[in-house]
Amino acid sequence: MSDISYLEALEVSKVFGRRNRSKTAVDGVSLSVKAGDSVGIVGESGSGKSTMARMLVGLLPPDKGLVAFNGDDVSQLRGKQKSDFRKDVQMVFQDPYASLNPRMTIFDQLAEGPRLYRLYDGEQRLRAAIEELFMSVGMSLEHLNRYPREFSGGQRQRVCIARALAVQPRILICDEPVSSLDVSIQAQILNLLKDKVSELNLTLIFVAHDLAVVKYLCSSMAVMERGKIVEQGDSDSIFTNPIHEYTKSLLKAIPTPNPIAERERLSRAKVQ
Amino acid sequence: MFSSPLILEINNLSIDFKTKDGAERKVLENFNLRLHEGQRIAVVGESGSGKTVMASSILRLLPEAHSSGEILFKGENLMKASSRRVSEIRGADIGMTFQDPLSSLNPIMTVGDQVSEVLRIRGISKKEASTRTVELLQELGIEDAASRLDSYPYEFSGGMRQRVLLAMSVIASPSILIADEPTTALDVRVQAQVMATINQFTSKRNLATIFISHDLSVVAGFADYVVVMYAGRVVEEGPVDEIFYRPAHPYTRGLLDSIPSIDQSSEKRLNSIPGVTPEPGQRLHGCVFRDRCDRAKETCSTKAPELLNTGEQHLVRCHFPLLPLSISKSKG
Amino acid sequence: MLDKSEITSQWGRLSWFEKGCFVGVISVIVLAVVGPWIAPHDPYFVDLDKSLLPPNSEHWFGTDVDGRDILSRLLFGARSTLLAPLGVIVFAASVGTVIGTIAALNPGVVDELIMRLCDVGLAFPALVLSIGLASALGPSLRSAIIALALTWWPGYARLVRSLVLEVTHKEFIESAKVLGVPRRKIVLRHILPNALNAMYVQTTIDVSAVILVISGLSFIGAGAQPPSSEWGAMVTSGRDYMLTGWWTVVVPGIAISVTAMLFNLSGDALRVLNDPTLKQSEG
Repeated sequence: MSDISYLEALEVSKVFGRRNRSKTAVDGVSLSVKAGDSVGIVGESGSGKSTMARMLVGLLPPDKGLVAFNGDDVSQLRGKQKSDFRKDVQMVFQDPYASLNPRMTIFDQLAEGPRLYRLYDGEQRLRAAIEELFMSVGMSLEHLNRYPREFSGGQRQRVCIARALAVQPRILICDEPVSSLDVSIQAQILNLLKDKVSELNLTLIFVAHDLAVVKYLCSSMAVMERGKIVEQGDSDSIFTNPIHEYTKSLLKAIPTPNPIAERERLSRAKVQ
Repeated sequence: MFSSPLILEINNLSIDFKTKDGAERKVLENFNLRLHEGQRIAVVGESGSGKTVMASSILRLLPEAHSSGEILFKGENLMKASSRRVSEIRGADIGMTFQDPLSSLNPIMTVGDQVSEVLRIRGISKKEASTRTVELLQELGIEDAASRLDSYPYEFSGGMRQRVLLAMSVIASPSILIADEPTTALDVRVQAQVMATINQFTSKRNLATIFISHDLSVVAGFADYVVVMYAGRVVEEGPVDEIFYRPAHPYTRGLLDSIPSIDQSSEKRLNSIPGVTPEPGQRLHGCVFRDRCDRAKETCSTKAPELLNTGEQHLVRCHFPLLPLSISKSKG
Repeated sequence: MLDKSEITSQWGRLSWFEKGCFVGVISVIVLAVVGPWIAPHDPYFVDLDKSLLPPNSEHWFGTDVDGRDILSRLLFGARSTLLAPLGVIVFAASVGTVIGTIAALNPGVVDELIMRLCDVGLAFPALVLSIGLASALGPSLRSAIIALALTWWPGYARLVRSLVLEVTHKEFIESAKVLGVPRRKIVLRHILPNALNAMYVQTTIDVSAVILVISGLSFIGAGAQPPSSEWGAMVTSGRDYMLTGWWTVVVPGIAISVTAMLFNLSGDALRVLNDPTLKQSEG
């Protein structure tokens, strides 16, 4: 079994709702992620990017097409293979207030994964490893025995990142992890992710609506509009030379902290 | 320097909330603002900065809060006005829009009715109100407005709803518009469109605007003057170009650095501000920002800095600002 | 379960009255447990010489028509008066939780079937069923308990189903799935502890309702039969002597109402303690 883990979506589609009132969230999308890649999936609301993320991580089975992990169809995995997949592909979610079990201590939530996969020999080693991980995401040890409600959004996200990293995954999928955070905290979390990805040699799939954020973390990008990928490629190229109309309109609409440029843009804009 | 007359003056506004266990939480401290006719002031800050509380209290929307200070609208003190007078002012003199258009609109009332209502309660006839509603909605970018009068909010997209909310707040021709995070819940392209709409509309009518936002970039092209808030206090304020190109407060500088730019290469690191924003109402000695500031020294823990001049109309509250303080004394 | 730190931190939010109610409930339960040991007289001892004595120093609440000490009867009867509702609620809540959870976790046919079954159960009038059972099996506390248990569980199934559904959509459940936690553990460790919290509040309030229903049934003769010292039965046996010995009716009556009220108010106060949505808001 080759060491290169990759995750691939092959013409996947996902439809929600019943026969007459259905919505196609994802329509025949293919995306291939190789080991070491950092891929961004960008789109506005309704683009299907979150649904893509959930299909890639195995939470939602595609209605058409399949998601393959190391060549195997994820929905057909059983037993050890399934468990390997789960361990290797982890996710960080958007809402830090709903991503942690309110009734479990932080420590227990971080330890759940490692215990499940028996990553450590005995409780002592487990404890030591969790403590180290916890500090490496910028939290202090005394917080380990507390409950999530005592923490701010940014701190909770750090805990969620630690939880995902605790099982030593190879692929980390992030679904808008900083969208609900304050700007100054966003930057902290983005830097944390950037550091961890490079330190642990992770493959990253980052879903967001903010192009600039995606560009900061990902070397390549897929732009989604209404369930389809409209443009895909190297992040820098997409920014400097967008091809698809949708990408162009997205880029044109991003505000920058540059009053002179922004005034210019506003004066050129037509009220639709 | 704005030469038009002053229409809104906020002096020493402080707001406390009493919590259930009797403690008092100060969420806004000694806030001052001068708004001139036609001027556009952006008030920016993250959560806990007090910006929303400040905006809501102008129209006395926070009955449970204890406020002190004065809010002078064309010389009249709104803090001391009767509730009847405040009701008259809401909409007709000062209009306000809110962040989430879905929850701010009545789901069981048609869009047309909701906008017209603002005029109808002031005695305008149904026909006249309807006509003006259609004109305004059209102007704000809702195509075919006449046919959409009978639609309900849920039939509209987020951007459309925000325009409806905007229509409600300006249809009675107020002299001030308070926009509280009008684009926060919107997708980036819709955001750009709504900003363009607000820009054009307020320009045409020379409508003085207070624009509240947590996103500096959104207000960069719109504002004339920017007020930066942190933990209930103003930490810096000044003309927009000054704030963005020559920030004096480490927090402002940090905020600007935290924004991933689409021009910068991904190798360059985002300078983040360490630490967490303080809880609203947390009691702090000295400078509120000192825990997160890389320039902080002894003085910062013991003595709270004053808001002082650092240039033309540019004020900063810091013992060690990024720009030198000017000799002329603090603002009046 | 409510965790200790949450309870201690929230305790201060309760008013004195609410705290008093909790203390009251606990006192009643304690009294029910130790009642028989601290009762001053034998509750079954018939002494016709002492028939219908008003409250005095020897018999704090007086005696009934058979000369039995009311206070002692009250203390002995506390057990059956409280145990019966507790039995009903424990049964209803347990069965309801299992069924509700199964329904919530198996959307589709299973869920529909279970919900229709609950609809039938809920449509059934508990009192009518109790009276029916009473005439079929012979009136007794036991038949009352059975009837109520059978009609009470669908309410819990409905409640637990909606609580579980609400929790299942939260991201921390998705997170557990992504971690690879097996389904059984997700249900036991993540879903149930969070979903059931709101249910505990309901059980406390229900105890008060069931106390009233069972006492009521005993009162009309479809529940506990005299000479049982179940409080409802006490009220009914004292009914004929209202004018000559009001204490035989009023004392157990007040005991029933006060106990029901204490449970009810404590349940409300539990809602205050049970506020997991008290998060430090970001806005």
